[in-house]
Formats: sequence, structure tokens, C-alpha cells
Amino acid sequence: MRVRVKLFATYREIVGRRELAWPIHAGDTIGTVVDGLVVKHPGLGPFRDTMLLAVNEEFAHADVALADGDEVAIMPPVSGGIA
Amino acid sequence: MIAVQRGRIDIAAVVDSVRRQDAGAVVLFLGTVRADLGVAALDYEVYRPMAIRRMTDLVDRAKAKFGVLGVSIVHRLGRVPVGGDSVAIACSAAHRKEAFAACGWAMDEVKRIVPIWKAEAVKAPKAARRPRRSGA
Repeated sequence: MRVRVKLFATYREIVGRRELAWPIHAGDTIGTVVDGLVVKHPGLGPFRDTMLLAVNEEFAHADVALADGDEVAIMPPVSGGIA
Repeated sequence: MIAVQRGRIDIAAVVDSVRRQDAGAVVLFLGTVRADLGVAALDYEVYRPMAIRRMTDLVDRAKAKFGVLGVSIVHRLGRVPVGGDSVAIACSAAHRKEAFAACGWAMDEVKRIVPIWKAEAVKAPKAARRPRRSGA
């Protein structure tokens, strides 16, 4: 099983990719995926507690379980509009 | 009207999209790129499908919360130079009070829950600029 992980802004720059396929196992959550990404890309570590997470285009908490084919988004706090 | 787009925002079209015969007020908010020190432009990055979903949801909530009649939100994607419009929000209502309140609230919500990020594009140092040829 695998999920698609989308990365934005600073996180995209750290990982060097906009999107990647990530293997999951039964019972894995978004948090599991984030933990794995942080191990592989330690530059994400300092942002671990402020990441916005989404599954299939809806905001989600780290404890949400994933299914094969889900789209996971890992996003910095949003900053649209103007200051 | 809900959109995320690379091209410049057609302000008249945004305003017209919320005009209604039962409206006595239309409020337009424009977010524009400010010339902070060294900033030449802002680069906007968007998670488009989720941004459209969140904007659609917040338009529905603005109507329910303030009783406004029409709400449109258009946000730029990509590079917007200093002085350019990065976001336009228009709200129409029977009376101005609801229109002003809804417009301000909608902008706050865009900044809070719509997945859009901006990065400053800085001006190149003068030494790095290509010199202009005279008489060109």
C-alpha cells in the first residue's frame, strides 16, 4: 500500500520534491508518514509541531489512519493574502 | 466567483459577480503587494483543489453568518509585482454593515484556513543588474 504525499512551500524546498509516493502499512497514520519523512529529511524536524496536515483535501489530525491511495498534504501554516 | 489564477484580477468582473437587485451595498477588498524594503514581488504558491474547497466553504459560512447575498474571492498564484493585486474579495448585502463585516471576516479566514503561501522575491543587488545601453 502507498499514499501520495504532497509538499508545499518551505517543506517542498527541504525535500526537493512537490510530490512523492510513500509506502504505508495497515494501521499507519499521517503521523507515521510524517515521522518517516522527518527521519529521511531531518531538515523538516524543526517544523514537526507546526505542520498543517490534510488527507484527501481535508484538514486532518496526525492520528488519522491512512488507506491505500490516499493523498496526504504536509503544509506550513498558511500565509495567503497580504500582511 | 471563486478562483485561483495566474493572470491579473479583473476587479470590475469581481464586483459585478456579486451585484444583486436586492443588495444595497457592495464592499470590495483588495490585498496589494506592498513595497517593503528590498521586496520586488511576492510569489504565491497554492494547493489549488483544497484552496477552492476551503474558499467555497468559507463563502457559504459568510452567507450564513452575516446574511450577505453574494461573496466572491479571487486569489493570485505565481508572481505578483509590487503594487499588484494579490487577492480580491467582494461582498454584497442589503445594508453596508453586513457587507463590511463579511468582507473583513472572509479575508481573515483566507489567511487562516486557505492553503496559500507567499514568499518574497527580493530585488537584485544593483551590481548584479545588467547595465542599460544608451540609445537603445
